[in-house]
Order: sequence, then C-alpha cells, then structure tokens
Amino acid sequence: MTRLMKRAFAFGAALLAMVPAAAAAAPVRVVTTTEGLAALAREVGGDRVSVESLSRGVADPHYVDANPMLAVKLRKADLLLDVGLDLEAGWLPPLVAQSRNAEIQPGGKRRLTTADAVQVLDAPTGAVDRSLGDLHPGGNPHFLTDPRRGLDVAAAIAARLGELDPGGKEAYQANLAAFRSKLEAAMAGWRATLGPLQGRKLFTHHRTLSYFLAWSGLASAGELEPRPGVPPPPSHLAGLVKLAKAQEVKAVVVENYYDARSAETVARHAGVKLVRIPGDVGGERGAGSYLEYVGLLVERIAGGVR
Amino acid sequence: MQRKIVQWCVALALAAPAVVRAQPQEGSPPAQGGAGGNPLARLLLMPDLSAITSVTGVWNSHDVEALSPERGEVFGPEGRPEFLFREVELGLRAKVDPYFGADIFIAFTPEEVDVEEAYATTLALPAGLQLRAGKFFSPFGRMNQQHPHAWEFVDTPLARGRLLAEETLSGTGASVSWLAPTPWYAQLELAVQSTAPYEDLPPDLTGVGRLLQYVALSERTTVGLGLSAARRREGAPGALRDLGGVDVHLRYRDPGSRRYLTVQGELYLRTLRDVPDPEGAPGDTLDDAVEHGWWAQAFWRQDAFLGYGVRYEEAPAAGVAAPGTERRASAVLNWFPSEFSRVALQASYDRLPGGRDGVEGLVHFEFGIGAHGAHPF
Repeated sequence: MTRLMKRAFAFGAALLAMVPAAAAAAPVRVVTTTEGLAALAREVGGDRVSVESLSRGVADPHYVDANPMLAVKLRKADLLLDVGLDLEAGWLPPLVAQSRNAEIQPGGKRRLTTADAVQVLDAPTGAVDRSLGDLHPGGNPHFLTDPRRGLDVAAAIAARLGELDPGGKEAYQANLAAFRSKLEAAMAGWRATLGPLQGRKLFTHHRTLSYFLAWSGLASAGELEPRPGVPPPPSHLAGLVKLAKAQEVKAVVVENYYDARSAETVARHAGVKLVRIPGDVGGERGAGSYLEYVGLLVERIAGGVR
Repeated sequence: MQRKIVQWCVALALAAPAVVRAQPQEGSPPAQGGAGGNPLARLLLMPDLSAITSVTGVWNSHDVEALSPERGEVFGPEGRPEFLFREVELGLRAKVDPYFGADIFIAFTPEEVDVEEAYATTLALPAGLQLRAGKFFSPFGRMNQQHPHAWEFVDTPLARGRLLAEETLSGTGASVSWLAPTPWYAQLELAVQSTAPYEDLPPDLTGVGRLLQYVALSERTTVGLGLSAARRREGAPGALRDLGGVDVHLRYRDPGSRRYLTVQGELYLRTLRDVPDPEGAPGDTLDDAVEHGWWAQAFWRQDAFLGYGVRYEEAPAAGVAAPGTERRASAVLNWFPSEFSRVALQASYDRLPGGRDGVEGLVHFEFGIGAHGAHPF
C-alpha cells in the first residue's frame, strides 16, 4: 500500500512538474486560410507558434468546402489570418460563425485580414455588376505573388503576434528581420533573372499575377477568361491567338488548379509556351516555403517568356 | 504640508509637456465640401441583400393532387405541362450590434408573402455556446434546414412532406447549441418552437433536439451523422406527435479541382400518441403505429458547370393511394452557367401502392442577385 501511495505521489508530482512547462511552451495557435499565409506565419512565428492552413496549396482558394472539420480548427485559434477582398467569401464566414470563437470575427483582436497590410491593385473604379463576371469588388486578392507584399504581410503578422504574445515580441521581430534579409537576398537574384526580360508579355488564366507582374516588370496581354470566372468561348481564344502574334506574347501561365485545355489550345495555335505554376505555397513539390514558391514562379515564368 | 507641495510640483512638472503639446492650432482646417466624411457611409451599414428567383416547368403523367399529395408544391395538373413561379427569396443579413447577427429570409410566392426565417444569433457566448431566437427552420435533419436553392434536386423527397411537415418544419422560438470541445465536430442543438407542420394544424409547442457529428475519414473525405428528435403537443391533453430522424452525409472532394461527390440520405420516424381522431367517436384516437420513410441520393459535381444526381425514396402513401408505401426514383442534371444561376432537368418514376405508377418531368431555372452569403456545409 505504502509503495502504491509513493508511486501515486511520484506520478502526481511528475504531473504537477509538467504543468508549468506545458504552460510556458504552449504555442500560439495560428490558423490561416491559405498555405501562403501559413508559410509567412511560420517564418515570423518560429517555434513560438503552431500554424495550420484551412486550405491546401493545390486548391483554388475561391472554392474551398466549408467543411465543419475546419470550424473545429478555428474553435481554438489564437489568431486567424485571412487574405480578405472576398477571396474566402464563399466559405470562411459560416466556419467562423460555427467556430464560436468570438475574437476571430471580422475586426476581432485575433483576426488579421492581411489585405489590409498591402497596397491593393485592380480595384474596380467604374460601375460594377455581375455581368462583368465574378470579380472582386474590393480589388485583387492574389498579392502574395509579389515578394515585397509578402514582406509587408510578414511584418503585419509579426506585429500582431507581438500584441497577442508580448513575451515573444522581440523574437517575432528578430524572425522578421531574418526573413527580410533572406528574402531580400533572394529578391536580388530574382531581379537579375527578370531584369533582361522587362516588358515581355504573357497571358494568364485568371487575373492572378497582377502583383507579380507589377513587381517583375513583365506585362499581361490578357486573360484566358473573358471575364473573371467565365469560361472562354472559342472566339475569345481565337482572339488571343491573334493578339499573341500581334503583340509577341511569349507564354500562357496557368495555375495548376485550373483546367489547362484552353491554355493548350492558345499555346499550340499561337506558338507560345504553356507554363504551369503552383497556385500557392504547397501547390506542388518543391514549393514548400514562401521563398521556394516565389522562386518557382520566377524560374518558370522567366523560362516561359525568355 | 511639505510633502503636498512636493507632490504638486511633481504633478505640475509632469503636466507641463502635455500643456505644450496641447497648444491649439491657429484657424480651423479647410472644409472638404461634398467630399467631406465618407459619402458611402450609408452603404457601409447596409445589410447584405440578395434575391433568389426560381421558376419550374412541371409535367406529370398522373393526378398528383389526388394520388400523391403532401409533397410540396412542385407538380401540375395530370398530363398538362405548366410553369410554376416558385418564389423570390429575399435574404437580408447583417450584424445587429456587438452581440447578435441577424438573418432574415422572406419568400414571395404567387399566394403569399411568408417570413421563412428571421432570427438573431449570438456572436460571443463562451464555452462553445450559441443562442438563436426568432423564427427559424427546426434543427431536424440536414435537408430541413436548407433553403430550396441549396438542394441538388428540384423538389423535396416525399418522406419529408409526409412525415415532417408539408414544406419545412419551422416555427418561432429559441434554440441553444453547443459545440463540444472534441477533436471532431460535434454539435448539440436544443430548440423550443411553436410549429404548425401542416396547414390544418394550429401552432403548438414543439421541442427539437439534434446531435450532429462530422469526422474526417481522410483529407478528401468527410462523413457526417445527425440524430434528431422532436416532440410536439397536439392540442388535446396528453396528445403528442413524436418524430425521430437519422441523416448521413458523406462528401468526397478533390482539393485540386471543383469535382466532388456527395452521398446522403435521411430516415424519418413518426408516431402519434393519444391524438384524438377528428373523424371518429369521442375518445377515439388516431393509429399510434410508427410510420417511417427515407431517401438516399448521390450527386456528382463534374466541374464548375455540370453536376448529376440520382435519388431513391420510400414514403407512406397519401391521398387516395394510401395506405401502403410509395416508391420513387429520380435523376437530375444541373447546369451552372455561373455561381449565380442554375438550370436543372429532373425526371422521376413514381410507383404508388396497388401497382399504379406515374412519370414526372421538371425543368427548373433559378438566379440570384446581390450578396447572399455562403451556405453551411
């Protein structure tokens, strides 16, 4: 009996000893809507955070299932990072409501809508209605294709993490500084690759590369979709083939979550290269981190327009 | 005394820089004219507004009204095609204040204007709790809580009309739901509502409970199981209507494309306890046998634009075809020109008790404008 009691005490003491350790080590639970945001959160959060993305990099982020299993992940989130500009309008709001997590509601202290941290492009200025397609009235949400904006988002994440976890404020800023120098070094290499290609033209499927093009100095000659979300009729593709020849378009660039048949048609008839790219971090093997993802974009697109 | 003087001096010294900073500026800043403030401020506070219109062309080979009633409104006269204006569903959604969000759905049909749902939901209760109050679709089964444009098929399964409610089991009341702190999704919802499931029934108090659980079988496959129960007072002392339900929902989604497969079905049970028979002698009660009906369907969304489904169902027959079991098999083809419109073709073969049968054809068009908000899973 005494032996049993001793063992019970030892077990209890061991448990008690674990409590403060566990409390100190409890990471900040960051949940993101996309893998691109998750990659940035990992860079600045380091080992003080655990990060989980609600969607996969292979998925079109406009169309993710509002699966209740995702609400379970949101229930315990200490910080929700979303893109904003209506990118997740079709699936995130019901999940946030189901999660019962009051502080990740829009505007909540544990919600960071990262579009607020960047200068937004392609915001429609004239009259807008759905005859123009499924456009984003707030502007283009695909801003992580520009590494400068990636850095802006990383800085915003570091600042918010510092507010939520003041003990880690310096660590987050140090991680951000390390990420900045890593990214800036990579950007110098990317600029060297892209420099000689300034002004080269390409087509995209959807208007997903506005930010990449603004940064890289390449140019868009149009989209395969006549209007956002509208499938291209043959007449539109024929028009693009003519345009490609007239304007010396070099490539058709298509994210791997889009069907490439229209792009293949244009590439074949116009004699331009078809370039498949990951839609986000994690969109394919070799795009596991933000630097790898942007590096792949630069490599593939530069290869396409060369 | 000395101490007080020191304190005053310290306070004055601390206040001095603040006084310097607070120097008022000369003149007032220039006016902005009509551009002052935010001219769109009113729009910012507008609720999300949407209107979804649906029309259906119907043709049936048999007299549905006589042989197979209690099935919603999607049928026409025997052997003669007809177009039905189904409804315009007006949706309004906004936050009320920091504590509640509001959802209002009003259906305009040729016969009436009906507030389908109008409820407020709490935004920030602790411990996984959420309260709802107002008029809402009862948390009984999966399909009963969906609006028509969320259905894969054009009409509802027969069993729902025969056993739950002529259209939707709904009413005014309140509910509390709790999201359990489990690694899988588990939600328990308890509601008290005044419901009138059939036109000839006056509203009466109904208690509804539903346990919904979802687990991920893999990253691509999720399965949900719902158990529902309801008890409704039936006017006379001790008279009760008891309902039970089981619903299963399996979804396979290929994350790299728009393809998905859903397989789902629901089983309903109903028994009437000590309910007086309106056509019998005083003291006579209706049959208290447990009636049941069910449906199962599979729907394959091929891509952004096309989807196909098949459905099989069994339900207690109604009208002059009763008693017995009515069986129906249906197929549907959905074409989605965009996220905001749908054209559907549906064909059904309806087998009534006694060997009679009927064929039905439906052509359906719906379109939505405005900001409707996403549907739950």
